[in-house]
Amino acid sequence: MTAVPTTGGWRNRQGDGPRRRRTPSGTGVIAWCFLAPLVIYLVTFYAYPLYRNIELSFKDYTVASFVQGNAPFVGWDNFTEVFESPTLGPALRNTLVFTLASLVFQYGIGLALAVFFQKNFRLAGTLRALFLVPWLLPLIVSGSVWSWMMNSESGVVNAALEAFGIGQINWLTSPHWSLVAVIVANIWIGVPFNLVLLYSGLQNIPPELYEAASLDGASTWQQFRRITFPLLRPVSAITVLLGLVYTLKVFDIIWIMTRGGPGTSSTTLSTWSYELGFGSLLPHFGPGAAVGNLLIVIALVFGLIYIRVQKRQEEW
Amino acid sequence: MRHHTLRSAGATALALGVLTGVTACSGSDSDSGSDSDASGGTFTFWDPYPQWDEDTAWGQQVEHCAEQTGVRIDRTGYDTSDLTTQALLAGQQGNSPDIIVLDNPVVSTLAEAGLLSTTEDLGLDTSGFAENLMAAGEIDGASYGVPIGANTTALYYNATVLADAGVDPASVTDWQSLTDALEQVTAAGHKGITFAGIGTEEGSFQFLPWLWGSGADLHDIASPEAVSALELWKGWLDDGYAPNSVISNTQEVSWQEFATGDYAFAQNGTWQLAAADESGIDYGVLTIPSAAGGPAPAATGGEFVTAPVQTDTDRYETTTQIIDCLVSADNLLATDTALSYVAPIEDLREQQVQDNPGLAPWVEAVSAARGRTTDLGTDYPVISEQLWNAVQNALSGSQSPQDALEAAQQAAESGLGN
Amino acid sequence: MTTPTKKKRSSGWRTLVGVVLTAIMLFPVYWMVNVSLTRTQDMRKDPPNWFPVDPTFEGYTAVFDDQLPYLRTSLLIGFGTVALTLLIAAPAGYALAKLRPRGGGALSFVLLIAQMIPGIIMAMGFYGIFLNLGILNSWWGLIVADSTIAVPFGVLIFTAFMAGIPQELISAAKIDGAGPWRTFRSVILPVSRNAMVTVSLFAFLWAWSDFIFASTLDGGGDSQPITLGIYRYIGNNNQEWNSIMATAVVASVPAAVLLVVAQRYVAAGVTAGAVKN
Repeated sequence: MTAVPTTGGWRNRQGDGPRRRRTPSGTGVIAWCFLAPLVIYLVTFYAYPLYRNIELSFKDYTVASFVQGNAPFVGWDNFTEVFESPTLGPALRNTLVFTLASLVFQYGIGLALAVFFQKNFRLAGTLRALFLVPWLLPLIVSGSVWSWMMNSESGVVNAALEAFGIGQINWLTSPHWSLVAVIVANIWIGVPFNLVLLYSGLQNIPPELYEAASLDGASTWQQFRRITFPLLRPVSAITVLLGLVYTLKVFDIIWIMTRGGPGTSSTTLSTWSYELGFGSLLPHFGPGAAVGNLLIVIALVFGLIYIRVQKRQEEW
Repeated sequence: MRHHTLRSAGATALALGVLTGVTACSGSDSDSGSDSDASGGTFTFWDPYPQWDEDTAWGQQVEHCAEQTGVRIDRTGYDTSDLTTQALLAGQQGNSPDIIVLDNPVVSTLAEAGLLSTTEDLGLDTSGFAENLMAAGEIDGASYGVPIGANTTALYYNATVLADAGVDPASVTDWQSLTDALEQVTAAGHKGITFAGIGTEEGSFQFLPWLWGSGADLHDIASPEAVSALELWKGWLDDGYAPNSVISNTQEVSWQEFATGDYAFAQNGTWQLAAADESGIDYGVLTIPSAAGGPAPAATGGEFVTAPVQTDTDRYETTTQIIDCLVSADNLLATDTALSYVAPIEDLREQQVQDNPGLAPWVEAVSAARGRTTDLGTDYPVISEQLWNAVQNALSGSQSPQDALEAAQQAAESGLGN
Repeated sequence: MTTPTKKKRSSGWRTLVGVVLTAIMLFPVYWMVNVSLTRTQDMRKDPPNWFPVDPTFEGYTAVFDDQLPYLRTSLLIGFGTVALTLLIAAPAGYALAKLRPRGGGALSFVLLIAQMIPGIIMAMGFYGIFLNLGILNSWWGLIVADSTIAVPFGVLIFTAFMAGIPQELISAAKIDGAGPWRTFRSVILPVSRNAMVTVSLFAFLWAWSDFIFASTLDGGGDSQPITLGIYRYIGNNNQEWNSIMATAVVASVPAAVLLVVAQRYVAAGVTAGAVKN
């Protein structure tokens, strides 16, 4: 191998001069040519749904006015209803716990696995590919399997725990455990995503760095702290950000396993939004969309933070 | 063709990514080609039976009616809950199918939204259909569909388990005797009863016979009678007569539990008869007892054949012919036998019992059953949602039955106040 | 990387640990297989059977009779989605990462928001658009819809990865007289293989497991994906869990093989590329 990283050296800053922050102008028009398909695509397919989601949240939709399209404009009423609802508190708390716990464990486990699989050993590739199999299952199936395994009486999880002398835990039906149950299932679903992204990030770190560090006598842990983690930071950032966006959005797995219950014990903002809009025979589209928009705002805030952090990294 | 130019114009607009081109697609434009899918003698037909393809009895029945009417029927099966969403979307876009077979509690909701034609407008003859079934499809005196068959829930029991515990099924006539039986059964090392308490319409459907059997009604779900019904369920859980899993059980899961052969009783529906025969369990069926004794009114389940409103009113004539064919006596008998439903017409029920004596308790239960939307119409969904929430909260121990139902009643009232 | 001698020494235990970890990860998948083979009367047995002691193959016979056409449609939709996603996302990622036009930041932001629109609202929006275009109930309409899950993701991933490509590579291409398009094709794309693989992988997986678009936009179609095929076993009041799980098993096998083979090929490709240069 030559000295130049050919597999797309990842932000190879060592020994480089200061990075230019912006390429010379004149590329603006060309840049937008490259972006044109995306822009057309976004306008065609996202503008209307986004407009619709906002419109729904400012009108008083009933089944009849949904069909006839003559719902009256009610300003912030839907939002007021949402903010005054007793469900808001638990939903916010659960969303926070669910998102935080999912992200920490998904990222931690994903990174550990990525580092583990980075070393070349027999079957590494095949095993890594097998880690993706959970993603091939339709969520209705994986959700059902998890509820199957976590059933109070006939579930295999409780059967296994019993072998260790732990009594029956009502994973799905106890208000104390239901959130834990859906978090565990969601971590399982999210690990492959983190593994794949972080693994490709690792692939882009030039091996020469490790060789040099080895020669300097750095331990594996030191190599991880000094090379892997810092160089992986941009990929880590996007992985965590996307993970955040997807975790905030998760509703199917919770919906299938607990429907946000019992009570509101595993209700998150997105299951609440779905429950309001589509969970009963009588849809409340307005408040449902209002909760949905609340989620968008939350994601927006984190997006802003991400862009700030990214900018600072570049200036640094 | 008009639609084609319209489409290609739309396509060009979209391809250019013009925002106005997109928003033009919005809302309830009437010119969105409502009948483009159904033109040329093809009638669209939706039902909640995705499990039956064209080779099954039901599929052939529909095909048969298409032939008889001389049209092509384009049939699509959707999952029950999905079907409602689809019907709403299609209605909003003016793209409704010609015929939808709908779950009965949904009929009043869609009818109120102005999506369904009345049987009167269609010229359908509904005489002879059982009153208590028809009621679920009526709003303000107008009727919006024809029941294709009915089901309800009752108690299946495992005769072997009962015999082993020394319980005579005939002794179960009221709540007390049922609870006593459960005590005896669990004392003998078996499991008691399983039902579906899941936080969905299914949960309400299962709880209603107990609620009604207590003497309560849906106008006040926090009455002492209603509380006693929920306390009955909760008591079973606390005493170990019912498994904890009932809180999240669907009726199918509850059935799987009964199928293990460990349980003495299971509340389940007519549709499991075939599965019960196959299971090898020596089973029997009891109507659900009321608190004071005698059968409690269960809730009617089953679907209605409805005809959504069309812009092209000429289509109704053929639509009516198709529906008439589907609900004609001979075809109904065949359909209800295939679906394992109780026929909506008295005379046919006698025939059904003659053919299959096992149906007798079910016919009795359906005759005594009540429509969920009969008293409340479109208020029902609001109450029902609160009811299943209360059941969830009480069974999981978050609230006492009393508190849960009071909170539910309050939430329902403020929901209806809007 | 580790030196060859070290690799040999450590590879044995690593494989072992890897197999154990994979086994833990795939336990729910095993459980799905187990359920697919379990008779109804044993499905809720307490305690459960860890192995299908009295297996039934009812589910599988049903699946092989019914499901193969659905499988083909799913593959078609999966590959179509990958192609469309790459086509739109790769150039956009390059522009955002390296050409950095005015307004690019805002666009990244829009992408982030776009991903937050609930699937069901997207589906409802698409329903109106598709109806007007007359592409409701078609498999290629579904490709367009499914790609909306993957395109914003793809752009963000490409941007993140391409930002790391050394500016020198691009400058060198420019000195050689390459225009932006040729730079993109012959410099940027080849070194972005990892990002392309990642994006393709997820585009495929999302399209493969999508349910909400399929049921809303292709519910009445002639060629439907496997997620809708499962519907055949979900009745109004009863579900055939043998068959549902069997469908999921049968559907994941070809896709899993595809993943393993693809990753072999990709690994080989990356190495070959490195050697060639």
